[in-house]
Amino acid sequence: MIYVAHAGHWITTVAYFLPVIAFLAWLAVAQVRERRRNRG
Amino acid sequence: MILIAHGIASRADLPIPEWLFAWAAAMVLIVSFIGLAVLWPQPKLQDGGWRPLPRALGRVLTSRPVEILCGAIGIALLVLVVYAGLAGVQSSSANFAPTFVYVVFWLGLVPLSVLFGDVFRAFNPWRALARGIAWLAKIPARGELPKPLPYPERLGYWPAAVGLICFAALELVATGRSKPENIAIATLVYSAATFVAMALYGVEAWCRRGEAFSVYFNLFSRMSVFERRDGALGLRKPLSGLPAFEPGPGIVAVLAVMIGAVTFDGAAEAPIWSRAAVDIADFFGDLGLSPAHALEAAFAIGLALGVLLVAGLYWLGTLGARSVGGGFGARELRWSFVHTLVPIALAYVAAHYFTLLLFQSQALAFLASDPLGDGSDLFGTADRGIDYTLIGSTATWYWQVAFVVGGHVMGLMLAHDRALVMYERPRQAVLSQCWMLLVMVLFTCLALWLLSQANA
Repeated sequence: MIYVAHAGHWITTVAYFLPVIAFLAWLAVAQVRERRRNRG
Repeated sequence: MILIAHGIASRADLPIPEWLFAWAAAMVLIVSFIGLAVLWPQPKLQDGGWRPLPRALGRVLTSRPVEILCGAIGIALLVLVVYAGLAGVQSSSANFAPTFVYVVFWLGLVPLSVLFGDVFRAFNPWRALARGIAWLAKIPARGELPKPLPYPERLGYWPAAVGLICFAALELVATGRSKPENIAIATLVYSAATFVAMALYGVEAWCRRGEAFSVYFNLFSRMSVFERRDGALGLRKPLSGLPAFEPGPGIVAVLAVMIGAVTFDGAAEAPIWSRAAVDIADFFGDLGLSPAHALEAAFAIGLALGVLLVAGLYWLGTLGARSVGGGFGARELRWSFVHTLVPIALAYVAAHYFTLLLFQSQALAFLASDPLGDGSDLFGTADRGIDYTLIGSTATWYWQVAFVVGGHVMGLMLAHDRALVMYERPRQAVLSQCWMLLVMVLFTCLALWLLSQANA
């Protein structure tokens, strides 16, 4: 509850690292597809 | 005063929130990555294309008198640091030693190395003294001195990594870090250890791999277009000195300390660390440590965490690159791409200490006239001050972002160039570099977050 109430304190920190999270997600998907393609 | 020197005054007039700069920087890296994949199909940096400077100029710059003069200047500055530290007033701002060691030497030599090559090698006081002593010792010995021991391969760059972490601990952890006497004593201890090591393994061998500052500044100098080869000075392609770097055991630790120490210094200004440091210090206080030592223990843990974080992120990046195949071992990949961390280290140092160097280096004007802080005025400049209006906080932020983005783009270029050499299939090379790109994006966002914390 207290984390939600104080979201302003940490949400900007998360905002800084969103590109990393998004890129990591894309990379994981791309790698799985690549492996499937190699198997096929 | 210190707030302004660190460039952390308020930046209220930015057109977008600071975190959006991280997004923009990440986009620049991704676009650069795509650009490299499309427009850079062949390795370009592995061969430096070295060509000598005009003979007269090269001969003068590498001549024995210039070498002796540079060495003598280095020795004189070393003596001055020790003397001022021991005999001068014990004030960090009025004594020559703290500003010279932490600002002029540690920070100022970084841009000089990047611009003009391995400047420190010429001025290295330990190298100059050891070579001078060896030359003198040859006179009574009437010939050659006994050969030094072969440098142990497994020791690699570990002594340099240890030296750098000790310096970082002195600068960032020790509560008496600014006391000139402590700096002088640390200098004497380091000098003694260096001379013993040089006597054992030889001057050049120790400078190449063991002497912390030689390794540190040499890594930055490899970005320069100037290179001394076989006694002649010449020009090479920018950055091409880095692929030629010979990695060895401990080199990842050296780079992790270089980036991790700055990371910790930035994080130490964040509110999250301020709260954690108090809790950790309380824990050590409960164990019986004095408040000062408890705080030092907390900061030592913070420094270690900073270094481990950087080493861990790089390790994960190379692990990801390994997962795309190619048949390379984990250590081979870590060593093959370690030079790509050098521009990132430069970006971190430049962005974090840019204003400190800009402002505090001006103190040299009055410290040169009054190095001991006893009221003397040797050159008539003792009444000079520091102009803190040279650059505003908004302009500082833009410069910091430019340093961070520029450094990481250079890192990407180096990684891409190395991948083209290593991987047979271009698609595999690009996929492996996606993991390095992830590391670069992460380091970029981390750097900008750390810089923003200074303003929190």
